[in-house]
Amino acid sequence: MSSSGNDTASGRINRRQALAFAAVGGIAMPFVLRDAVAQGKAVNVGVVMPLSGANAQFGINSRNGVELVADEINAAGGIKALGGARINLVIADSTSTPTTAANVAQRLLTQNDVVAILGAFASSLTIAISEVTERRGVPLLTMSFSDQITGRGFENIFQVVAKASVLGKAQFDGTMALAATAGQKLERIAIMYEDTAYGTSQAAGLREGAKAAGVQIVMDDAYPLGITDVTPLINKLRASGAQAVFPVSYLNDSLQIIRAMRQQKIGIPAIGGAAGYVIPDFEKGLGEFAEGVLSIAPANYDLAPELTERFRKRYGYFMVHEALEHAVCMDVLAQAIETAKSTAPEALRKVLHGTRFEAGWTKTMTGGAVQFDKTGLNTLSVPVMVQWRSKELVTVWPSDVAKAKAVWAS
Amino acid sequence: MSRLSPMRLILIAVLLAAAIALPFAFDPRGYAIRILCLALLFGAMAQAWNIVAGLANQVSLGHAAFFGIGAYTSTLLLIHFGISPWLGMIAGAVLGGLAALLISLPTMRLRGHYFALATLAFGEVMRVIANSWGGLTGGPVGISVPFAPSSLAMLQFKETRPYYWLMLAALIAVTAIFVAIRKSRLGYRLRAIKENVDAAEVIGIDTTRTKIIAAVLSGGLTACLGTLYAQFQYFFDPDTVFGVGSISVRVAMIAIVGGIGTAIGPILGAFFVIPLEEFANQIFSAQAAGLSQLVFGVLLVVVILVEPRGFVAMGQRLARRFRREDRS
Repeated sequence: MSSSGNDTASGRINRRQALAFAAVGGIAMPFVLRDAVAQGKAVNVGVVMPLSGANAQFGINSRNGVELVADEINAAGGIKALGGARINLVIADSTSTPTTAANVAQRLLTQNDVVAILGAFASSLTIAISEVTERRGVPLLTMSFSDQITGRGFENIFQVVAKASVLGKAQFDGTMALAATAGQKLERIAIMYEDTAYGTSQAAGLREGAKAAGVQIVMDDAYPLGITDVTPLINKLRASGAQAVFPVSYLNDSLQIIRAMRQQKIGIPAIGGAAGYVIPDFEKGLGEFAEGVLSIAPANYDLAPELTERFRKRYGYFMVHEALEHAVCMDVLAQAIETAKSTAPEALRKVLHGTRFEAGWTKTMTGGAVQFDKTGLNTLSVPVMVQWRSKELVTVWPSDVAKAKAVWAS
Repeated sequence: MSRLSPMRLILIAVLLAAAIALPFAFDPRGYAIRILCLALLFGAMAQAWNIVAGLANQVSLGHAAFFGIGAYTSTLLLIHFGISPWLGMIAGAVLGGLAALLISLPTMRLRGHYFALATLAFGEVMRVIANSWGGLTGGPVGISVPFAPSSLAMLQFKETRPYYWLMLAALIAVTAIFVAIRKSRLGYRLRAIKENVDAAEVIGIDTTRTKIIAAVLSGGLTACLGTLYAQFQYFFDPDTVFGVGSISVRVAMIAIVGGIGTAIGPILGAFFVIPLEEFANQIFSAQAAGLSQLVFGVLLVVVILVEPRGFVAMGQRLARRFRREDRS
């Protein structure tokens, strides 16, 4: 802060005085910042993301996606229906605690007059925010997967991706389809997942899919987030005789699991559950071991490269799915404001519920468009199966959007 | 000091009136009042913690266990049986007190770091149980408090103002209990234990029993506050209510920053730490990712370096200095 440079001003300043300066500065700064933002005509959009803590990397990716679209809209002349009003992003760190997420959402609503909020990657954060936005009747657009998000009858929440249970089931069904195409009938599978909200709900979807298809689950193990030794898991996997394995985890665990598998020469197909399996660091951490690993994903950048390559050009890595979906959230909101010709929450909600969005970034989604049902769920989004091929993610399923045929190592 | 002077009484009355009237100065559903609510709630939690840590010198790092028990008990009773959170709060307090009794029996003979570590483990155990017993708690996905129309009976309000008064009442109640205990026979026993456990034992105090009584009171009160939190936030997951960083350590930190063992310390601490974190977030989170948390952490470190015994000690030191200057 500003205190460190003050020593020269009056000879010596002791610690306590320096602290007082810091405190005064801290109290005064928000008001200074608020005035700066208030000038000029702009549409304030809240962006609440986990920019610190366990999910920071995903939060930063998401913020980049939103920023890209907002800057593009502003460069193209802003919101035309509002006389070229610029989009002003108000970015806030939700950290990884739901309490903070709800606090910052409340702050954006009351102090920054945001017309809507985008965020916040992790389902627990999004749900905490939705309790605030719902009570104030302001739209919240999200790409969090959890079934709870649109399962509570809220009117002001909009989920652009398929739900976690659908994702889990697609992870299973897609795998069965790919195996069948390659001439293999899967009979025994293994599931391992971290014991978080994301891991457990996706594992539930997998289990359901397997049960419906009459496939035997020979291993079904939860492990704690931040596991340091996966050897027991891998040994169990080897002994189980599974024909394919479904690991659901964030980055660090995913690296350990795949590395240990490949080092032990377990060559069965691994089908990840998005998150850690579909970001550039996965390939960076594993190198050649990443080649051929499959994963489910709510969306993939190769479906609309003409749009997503702009992201790569600006940030230097491919447009990961959370960045892409948040970009879609931003664009859908901008289109809704154009249609409504207003930023009033009721008008926005009506347009969001009753419109099929087909322009701009919505083309990157599987349905090629976005349409919300009355619970706020995008009914057109279908999960895709992607595969690592020479440092890129290639969509391999479902066949109507696939860019290449999957390599199936049975 | 044992009786309040008229001047002090008047001062306290004026402060109370101001605190009750304060929400009228803010947007009733706004941000400032929400932060005030959290500061009041965390102040009450730190005060409850203060009963066992400040009076008996048993620094607990597992108070999230009782907090989470309170939150889950009332919310589960509400979801499954439609029982009012007020009754749920009582049930939670009983369970929280029982949990405190259970954990105290083996650990209260431990001292210093060993006690802190044992309680830390207890909080973590509760978190793991809540995460893995999905059938009861909903697991890591967390649970939402069912939506209900605004009413005092169901402890749910559309506006934030009523929560403010509830949290204020909670803080006053816990503080009053703290002061009452401190002045009671139990308080003197606790103080004796704090000064020297062996000496207390020699003069005939059943030290373990005394400490357990304090722990049960503290745990039960913390559980009540867990219910308030659940009704205020409407959603929580195991990592939030049983969290080491989000609850256990934060509560201890608030009391330590303010002044451990004093009645005013946890209140000062809460009204410093909670707004500070929000300000840091507000100013810095649009800049480099993670900067706000870093700034918050650095400021806390600075405060503890300047006065490890908290604001109360800082105030006393300043007061002494002024008095000395008057005389000279």
